[in-house]
Amino acid sequence: MSILEEISDNLQHGKAKAVKELVQQAVDEGIPPETVLKEGMLPGMNIIGEKFKNNEVYVPEVLVAARAMNMGAQVLKPYLEKAGVKAVGKVCLGTVQGDLHDIGKNLVKMMLEGKGLEVIDLGVDVSPDTFVNTAVEQNCQIICCSALLTTTMGVMGEVVKKAEEAGIRDKVKIMIGGAPVSQAFCDQIGADCYTPDAASCADAAVQFCLAMQ
Amino acid sequence: MTNRERALALLHFKPVDRLPAVHFGYWPELLTEWVQLGKIPAELAVGNYDGSEKERELDKLIGWDFNYYRTYGSNNHLLPGFERKVIEVLPDGTQRIQNGDGVIEKIKPGITSIPSEDDYLLKDRESFEKYYRPKMQYAPQRVDIEFYKKFNDNRPYDIPVGLHLGSVLGNIRNICTVAGMSYLIYDEDEELFADIVDTYAEMQYKCAEAILQTGAKFDFAHYWEDICFKNGPLISPSLFDEICAKHYKKRTELCHKYGIDIISLDCDGVTDRLLDTWVQNGVNTMFPIEVGVWGDQFESARKKYGKEVLGVGGMDKTALRVDKAAVDKEIERMKRLASLGGFIPCPDHRLMPGTKFELVQYYAEEIKKITI
Repeated sequence: MSILEEISDNLQHGKAKAVKELVQQAVDEGIPPETVLKEGMLPGMNIIGEKFKNNEVYVPEVLVAARAMNMGAQVLKPYLEKAGVKAVGKVCLGTVQGDLHDIGKNLVKMMLEGKGLEVIDLGVDVSPDTFVNTAVEQNCQIICCSALLTTTMGVMGEVVKKAEEAGIRDKVKIMIGGAPVSQAFCDQIGADCYTPDAASCADAAVQFCLAMQ
Repeated sequence: MTNRERALALLHFKPVDRLPAVHFGYWPELLTEWVQLGKIPAELAVGNYDGSEKERELDKLIGWDFNYYRTYGSNNHLLPGFERKVIEVLPDGTQRIQNGDGVIEKIKPGITSIPSEDDYLLKDRESFEKYYRPKMQYAPQRVDIEFYKKFNDNRPYDIPVGLHLGSVLGNIRNICTVAGMSYLIYDEDEELFADIVDTYAEMQYKCAEAILQTGAKFDFAHYWEDICFKNGPLISPSLFDEICAKHYKKRTELCHKYGIDIISLDCDGVTDRLLDTWVQNGVNTMFPIEVGVWGDQFESARKKYGKEVLGVGGMDKTALRVDKAAVDKEIERMKRLASLGGFIPCPDHRLMPGTKFELVQYYAEEIKKITI
């Protein structure tokens, strides 16, 4: 097994310490940081994402894999910056105003980062203005809104309206998700994309970013 | 037939005169909304909880027969609980609070959504042994024995009443948080996780046993879990089965010993992949079967397990925010499910803000017209 395969394998099994050490070892051995990312870490998270979509693994496996990914990314970050490697795209993410649920939102964040996207996590109870202002100020390609409550999902429609008012609808895709959210609701409020799970969200986000490059 | 006779007959596949109009309570915000709209008197919105006098008054106003969720239990939480204290107040007014489970939560002023979990204390063997194991032990003060000795003389007989069995995993999830539970399983070992579950479960078993030993009679027993979400269980079904199955079985045997044959379980989310464990270990009633928000289903469970699975719930409560046509569609669906037997239609969780008072009255009136 090559060191890149080892990184992927350990990441899938949530072995954060091993991933951290292997990433450092790979860089020390002269493997370009971008290669470590794209051929070691990202494939590992891709496999976990696919398994999650197919119900072959569950939330705990995703969480520990994402934590391992994060540990590896911390080691790799300065090398990537030095090499001028840029993220696939930039996303601002949050749970909408009035809603404090963050488990789903955090899973989405992990999956997005696992796909090589830069994520600005706005946290919970995020107002439509904050979503839109952040997207403008930080040049985000995507706004991701999460809601668990039927009483708060309506705020997602407000985010779409604010984005229209700010004149950024042709530059920023608005993605939505959460327990009560559906494709019909997405169509109703004029958002760009609904995905049923965190892994599908990350897949769609990457496609949007690549299309906008 | 009384409400109790009707409900128990339905859950035992026996004939009834009509379907009961059953509900599962309200969000407090909805009652406030109905007061503001002039639909209900202000006094009915205060002190209105499961089984309260206010709730029964509101039942009459709306036309409900009763709230299905009437259970009695014990203090089967951490004892003593952790001191609830404010750790920090953030610039936007958000409070970081340590709750009774030792979980650090963020609470924002003016928001009624459940708090955001920020940190937790149960992280390893040391924290379990030092802080948690002592709080998970059975103690006499957990059960109000005197109350249960007189229970049969004082309990309502016009509705079914249940013994609350606590949970097997739900409370552990609350104590550890979802992320913490995941890290605990992977960072420590499954043995520690199983030890935590076993310790907590044993105490809850003893609480249920102490109540039943008083001679108190119940029509059903009930668990709360909430360990699934939109896409299924929060942990792998195989691990769940390995760690939790024996505890359901043990409590089922206890219930059967005392003549309780209806054992229900409340779990948010899509529950189908955990049903094997529950059904095989005696949990035989799905309640409230959240169709609307989560897409959970009763039909598929009935197809798979036949009459081994009963249901209370399954009515998409979101229809009660729409219009009569949406409600009629749900009533037709409920009629079809009720005709299978062993099923009592009920809105699939607490009625939420935006629910139209007149539609609730209409649903209650129409469901009572159905004979099966």
